[in-house]
Order: sequence, then structure tokens, then C-alpha cells
Amino acid sequence: MLRFIVRRLLVTIPTILVVITITWGLIKLAPGNFYSGEKRLPPAIEKAIREKYGLDKPWYQQYGKTIWGIVRHGDFGTSLRYEGQSVNAIIRRSLPVSAAVGILAYLLALIVGVAAGSIAALKQNSRWDYTSMTLAMLGISVPNFVLGPILVLVFSLTLYWLPPSRWGGFPSRNLILPVLTLSAIYMAYIARLARAGMLEVLRSDYIRTARAKGLSEKDVLIKHALRGGLMPVVSYTGPALAFLLTGTVVVERIFALPGLGNYFIQASLNRDEPLIIGIVAFIAITLLLMNLLVDIAYAYLDPRVRYH
Amino acid sequence: MSKQKQIGMLFLLASITFAALSCNVASSNEQFFGKTTPPERNIFRYVTGDEPESLDPAISNGQPEARIYMAMFEGLVEYDAKTLGPQPALAERWEANNDSSEFKFYPRHNGRFSNGDPIDATDFVYSFRRALAKETASRNAYLSYYIKYAQAFNEQKVFVRDPQTGQFLLAKDFDAETPPEPLSGSPFDPAKGEYPRAAEQHPASAEQGAQHFIYEDNTEFHKQMHTPLRLTLPGDAKARNKALDADPKLKAAVAGKELVPVKAEDIGVEAIDKYTLRISLVQPGPFFVGLLAHQLYRVVPRKVIEKYGSQWTQQQNIVTSGPFKMKTWRPYDKLVLERDPMNWDAASVKLDEIHFYPMSDNPTIMNLYKVGEIDAVLNHTVPNAWLEVVRTKQDYMDGAEASINYLLMNVTQPPMNDVRVRKAFNFAIDKKAWAQWRKIVKPLTAFTPEGIFPGYPQPKGDQFNPEEGRRLLGEAGYPVIKKPDGSYSCPKFPVDQVEYIYNTQESNKAMAEWMQAQWKQNLGITISLRNMEWRTFLNARAKLEYKGFSRGAWGADYMDPFTFLSLFYTGGENGTGWVDPKYVAMLDDANRTPDPKKRFELLAQAEKYLIDAQPMIPLDTAAVNFVKKPYVKGMYPNAGSLYPWKYVYIERDPSKWDYGSPSLTAD
Repeated sequence: MLRFIVRRLLVTIPTILVVITITWGLIKLAPGNFYSGEKRLPPAIEKAIREKYGLDKPWYQQYGKTIWGIVRHGDFGTSLRYEGQSVNAIIRRSLPVSAAVGILAYLLALIVGVAAGSIAALKQNSRWDYTSMTLAMLGISVPNFVLGPILVLVFSLTLYWLPPSRWGGFPSRNLILPVLTLSAIYMAYIARLARAGMLEVLRSDYIRTARAKGLSEKDVLIKHALRGGLMPVVSYTGPALAFLLTGTVVVERIFALPGLGNYFIQASLNRDEPLIIGIVAFIAITLLLMNLLVDIAYAYLDPRVRYH
Repeated sequence: MSKQKQIGMLFLLASITFAALSCNVASSNEQFFGKTTPPERNIFRYVTGDEPESLDPAISNGQPEARIYMAMFEGLVEYDAKTLGPQPALAERWEANNDSSEFKFYPRHNGRFSNGDPIDATDFVYSFRRALAKETASRNAYLSYYIKYAQAFNEQKVFVRDPQTGQFLLAKDFDAETPPEPLSGSPFDPAKGEYPRAAEQHPASAEQGAQHFIYEDNTEFHKQMHTPLRLTLPGDAKARNKALDADPKLKAAVAGKELVPVKAEDIGVEAIDKYTLRISLVQPGPFFVGLLAHQLYRVVPRKVIEKYGSQWTQQQNIVTSGPFKMKTWRPYDKLVLERDPMNWDAASVKLDEIHFYPMSDNPTIMNLYKVGEIDAVLNHTVPNAWLEVVRTKQDYMDGAEASINYLLMNVTQPPMNDVRVRKAFNFAIDKKAWAQWRKIVKPLTAFTPEGIFPGYPQPKGDQFNPEEGRRLLGEAGYPVIKKPDGSYSCPKFPVDQVEYIYNTQESNKAMAEWMQAQWKQNLGITISLRNMEWRTFLNARAKLEYKGFSRGAWGADYMDPFTFLSLFYTGGENGTGWVDPKYVAMLDDANRTPDPKKRFELLAQAEKYLIDAQPMIPLDTAAVNFVKKPYVKGMYPNAGSLYPWKYVYIERDPSKWDYGSPSLTAD
């Protein structure tokens, strides 16, 4: 197991470097630059700007400087668009916002989804089962950029209960709508997965044995069935986190939250090369680590799984 | 009830609820758009636009930054809240010479930075020089090119000096087109009465004193400014050699001379003493004092910048000079400013704090305004689709705006290189119908905003005349045929050579489709539309990588027609490829004219010339359109949407609120 973990961690490093290189190349190929405006800048001013940020050097020198800074100091440089702000500082500042929204959304999705799905499995074909699965269908089909504005329209603009956008610190009422919007689709998916997993487990021999032994329904469910029934949910967590990160981008945009996603969009629109590379690298590392954790959790949950 | 019926009931209930809710939102009969409860504290919450690029006033040229700079930094003059004319700020008063080519400003004795350090003329000299330095890379540097040698320093040019005599080569000896020297560059002669108005302003010194007044500050630098304009060459060796090779006379004269880089100290700004600042221009500049309110000219703290470099605007380091100073700054979240007690006019500042929220999505901003979490929004935030409802509210602000919309054309490629084709497309657009459809603009046939510059005899361009358009197209070789059903077609026109590009946004798409429909209806030609992301669009337009038409818009940098006409002053990168030395000469002539009335006439003639050459199709003069809460007073919808924040206050007595747009006529 340990060997497996170490090997995975070692592979992470060249993977990240490849990701950075491809990103850097794509940015260079994209038309436009970070200082352009409606009126074209006089050539001397444009030259001064390009020299100030090292854009006048040949491409291999620029690439070398970028990579060297990252590998040697872990320093992704200074933002081109936001004068004097280092990329590392921007990421450090915006990460808690995205993490708060993302983690809360996923926790909410897990708790509600697993509960709803398990109960649906227990009470199969009942009213509860049909209602929750229909709602799950709705949750999967409605995109978050439709659900978000609808929630804002109802709870903010009509009822005046909740703020329509912006970050209010942690914790605050500003979190409610973004977390709800982001969690909806995962809640739905997890409910369906939990239901399917539980249904299969509840039919198996060892559950029948537990029931025959006289254990209460609650003990049967929580002590024995849940562990096996949640396998599909756990294996979904890996890719779900990837989508969570991209989903966060849309939600942050709708609700004007100062998180990584919002910065990422702005950086791309602004052609802010160091910031784009920094955020992409950060997301890549996070994804790789999260997937590793999920694999480890999988091994814990299912004793039949072994890694070499 | 069966399961299906149950689910059906559920959906019916949900739909009715939603319908009821949306009706509630749409048919609101309230006077104002959303809640109108003033904030508890004496603060003002405003959306500036996107996250500011930098809090350094010399660097950025964007709209969001401009209003933040006005709160944090102050200049010699400030914009008037209604007319945008220059009002004394850190300068108590000023004087101009006879042809407005030299100015003297008298900074206040009680000007202070937010850390208590005094502000005097030397701080202004430092700020101007720094703004133009290469390291600052200011996007707005071109606004200072009226100052003598400012452009040469900013572009890192060199003088040419004879090592033996110490004499510099002069520009007029090598360029016959060099304009005659203004008074600021002519040899200084007190008898010429360069400052006749000084005698009026200092009656005590009028007799014996007039001489005394003029002589006592004729410093060495001043004498040097009063010499003819020196020749400058590019600092970069490659560019310089290219210029020399092109002109043998120049090359011969330069041989054996030494090249002296233009330094910051050569720029025509001088602190005669701590409270007298003198600025020498390279040409007469009657509009120059109004230009000094621009952020490029606001004073910055020298000691802090020299200590912290590019980090000087961080929260822990920053020192400001305006009516407000920074309290906290959380990028992408909010910038909180508080009243600066050190400011010379702190007693006039009404607000305790200003909160700037950086946001860019218009519906999100309007929603925030509706629930009452912000007190005003920036200009042009009301989406076009919302105008029907929002315009009827009493917190909707409208007024004339110093900005215009137009279509640019790539004149370097056929068929648009034929002026008849360009004029035909211009004739085929009904600007009045466009203004009606767009609702908040006025039709325009010229290239300056209508009714903005008092006394400017704006020329009139071609009116809507589709018949004439069709005739011109025929003359150019693309005859327009009338079909039996009354519509037109133009089979010979190369539609694959022409397109209309715009940057992706809902309002731009609607505009593009409108134009397309006009041309189809009046000329029988269907132009294809292509949208692209903002920076890609700017790139394509500047590099002329498009065929046909592209969208364009421009807002005034300062309140003078030249800010619009100068868009075509340089060739190549104005998005059309059109350049005409005659037009440039007409503009230069106008700017050299000291009499303001005559100058306006010459500018109008240049504008007429531009309209006739038709490198663009004028569309409209824009209007200010935003919302502000009725309890916000002292904020006027002026032509530049620039608000001197110290006059803004929260009025808690509803009888004194603004019901409708506050009037801009001076009271």
C-alpha cells in the first residue's frame, strides 16, 4: 500500500509539469494580450509595457524563466493584470472561499443524498421512493446556471430573505444560495447511486444473516449495509470533485464570489499568463491528490481491493 | 389518487407559484426600482465595474479604476460635479500666458498626504515625471504629450548635441512642417507682455511690480524652456539608423555629434518654489487645465513609492492624497475607503466611508441594487431588456454623455476601399430608427457627441437616403436590382469579402442583427456576422484582420472635441487602416490656434473632412444610463459619469430626496 502511494505521488510531479507546459503553450497561442483596450496604445508605451513584463524576450527564454521560478521556488510569479499582486497570494486568498462553498456543497449533497437514497432503497416502490427519485431527475437535468438565478429570484428578489450575491465571510447568509445551487446536481446523483448500491447490498446473503440473527433494522443498515452500499458513491467522489471544481466556477460567477473559479475566468479573459498557470497547476495538484485519497478510501471500505 | 396524478399536481402547483412570483416582480408599481432604505451608517456603497487593475493612478486607463482614483488621489484641479470643468483642488489658483502655452499653478499650503506629510509643488513635479517614466508603463502617458519633451522622455528619445559648442540641434532645421513656436518656446521678452493678465491679478505689482513679477522667476530652466524645440531621435539604434538613412541631410548633421538621452528633468514642469508650479507646453493648449483633473496628473507619495516600489499600493503600505484613504482592501470582494482627516478639505467631505464592490455581470449588479445592498451602480449597467421597466422609475438617471458609437471599416481591402461603397452603406442606415430602437441614444451623423461641447459648430454628415446608397453602389460596379416583390438584391456584391465583427455580448448581437437587417432591406445585401471574445476582437480590429465592418465606441478622455478626432490622428492602428496627412495637418493647425472660437471652427472643418472620407459609419451619441437611490445626493449624471466624491452625501429626510434625475444646470 505504501509503495502504491509513493509511486502515485512521484508520478504527480511530471504530470503537473506537462500540464503547465501545455497551458503555457495554449496561452501563448491565444490572440490578444492583457493590456489592450478600445484605443490602441502608442507603440512606445506598448514597448515599455512588454519590456516591463519580459514579454519581449524569445519564447524559450520566457518558458525557461516561468518553469525555473515554479520548480526552484514554487513561485508562480506576479499577476500581469493586477499590479504588484503575486499569484501565490491570490491563490492563498481565494482558496478558502472556493473551498468553503465546495466542501459545504459536497457535504450537504452527501448527507441528504445518502439519506434520501438509503430510505428510498429501504422503502422501495413506495411514495417516498418515487418522489425522491423524480426530484433527483429534476436535480440532474436542471443546470446550475438556471437553478441559481431561479433561487435568487425567489428567495432574494421577491421574498427579500437572502442576499442575491457577494461574499459575506464565513459563516454567513451569503453562503446559503451558492451552496444550494452547487449541491443540487450532486445531491441528485448521490441519491440515485446510494439507492442503487443499497438495493444491491440489501439483497445479499450477509444482510439476510444479520436480519436472521435478530439485529434491529437500524443496526442492519448502519453497521453492515452502508459500508458496502456506499461503494458507488465513493467511486463517484473522484470525478465528482473534478466537476465540483468546474461547477464552482459557474456558481462563483453567478454569485460574484471572490474564489478561485472567478479568478480563473477573469485571468483567462485577461490573458493573465502567470495567474492562469498558477490556478491550473493548483487545480491539477488538488485533483491528483483527491483521486489518490479516494483510491485509499476505496481500499479501506472494500477489503477485497488490494493495491500493488 | 394515482401516483401520476400526484406528480402532476405537484408540477401544477409549482408552475402556478413561479408564475405568481414572476408576475409580482414584473408589474411592480413602486416609484423606485427596489428597496429605498438608506444604510444605517453614513456610508456609500457603489459598484465600480471590474476589479481594478491597479490602485496606482498613473498606470491604468480603465473605467472602473477612474472613480476609485478620484476618491483616493487628488490633483491640481478637480472635475466640477455638474459641468466637469476644472475646479481648484490642491491648486488654489492658476494663471495662463497669452496663448495658453505656459501655466503657473499655486498649490495650497495646507495640502497633506494621508500620513500627514505636506504636499507641495515638488511632489507634483515628481508625480508627473514618474507617470512618464518607462518603468511605470502608464497606459495614459499620451495625455501628457502636450507638455514640452514629455513625449520624447516617455518614448526614450535622444537629443543631438554638438560636443564642442554644447548646442543642440533644433527640430525646425530638419522638418519644414515644424509648427511655429508658441510663446512658451519663444525667447523670453518681458516687453512682449507674455503674462498681461498677471498685471490684472497683481495690481500692486502692476507698475514697477510688473517687471519685478516677471523677472523674479525667470529661472535657468525657464530660459531653457524658452528656446526653440530641440530635435529628438529614437533612442533605439535600429530605429534611429532607419530614420537617419531616410534623410541624408539629417544624417550629415548628426555625424560627429553626441546623443544625449532625454531625462525626466527635461520635461517642461518646474517647481519654482515650494508653492509655485510652472508647466510649459509644446503647443498652445486652451483645454489643458481641464485635462489636469485626469488621474494621470494626480499627486502620489514619493517617499512611499521609492521605499516599496510596485508594492506601494498594498494595504499595509499605501499613502493617498485624496479626500478618502484606504481602510481595507480585499480584492474581488470590496475596497473600503474612509474619510481622510489630513485632507485639506476634510471639512467638506460628507461621507464617513465609501465601499467599492468590483463586479462585472450587469443583471447581478442590478439585483444587488434592487435588494438595497448597494446605493448606486456604474454607468451603462441597466441591461437593454430591462429599460422598459427601469426607465419609468424615479431613480433612473439619464443625461447626455460624452461618448459615441460607430462602425469602423477596413478600408485597405476591396470592396470597402472604394469610398462610394462606404458611403452607400452609411446612407442605408436609418440612424433615427436606430435611436428609437435602442431607446437611450440620439442619432449621430458626425464623429463628436452632439450637444456636449458648448459653442462647437458640429458639422452634419449624410442623412438617411437609401436611394442615394443604391445609386452609389451601382456607380461603384455593384448595381442593386429591385425585385418584383419590392425587395432588393445585389448579386454582384462580393458578400464573401465582407463581414461584421463584434465582441460577444447580448446587446452587441442585437445591434449587429439590426444593422444586418437594415442593409438587407435597403441594399439587398446580407452581411454575415461574426462574434468573438473581447481581447480577440480588439486584436483582430487593431491588426486589421477582419473584412468589412467592426463595432466601435469611444468616451471622452477630457472635455474637448479633440479627444474624439484624435482617434484618427495616427494611421494603421485605429482599426480602419485609414490615414491622411491632410487631416493630421488640419488638426495640428487647429490646436495651434490660440483663439478658442477659431480653434473650434478649424476642428469642425477637420471633422467634416473626416466624415466625408468615411472610414467609419457614425451611429449615435450615447446617453448616461444608470440607477442611484433617491437618498444619494450630490451625485449628478454628468457627461463623463465622473463624481467628485466629497460632495456626495446620504439624505435621510424623504422630502429632500432626488425624485428623477437631478438637474445639471448650475444653481
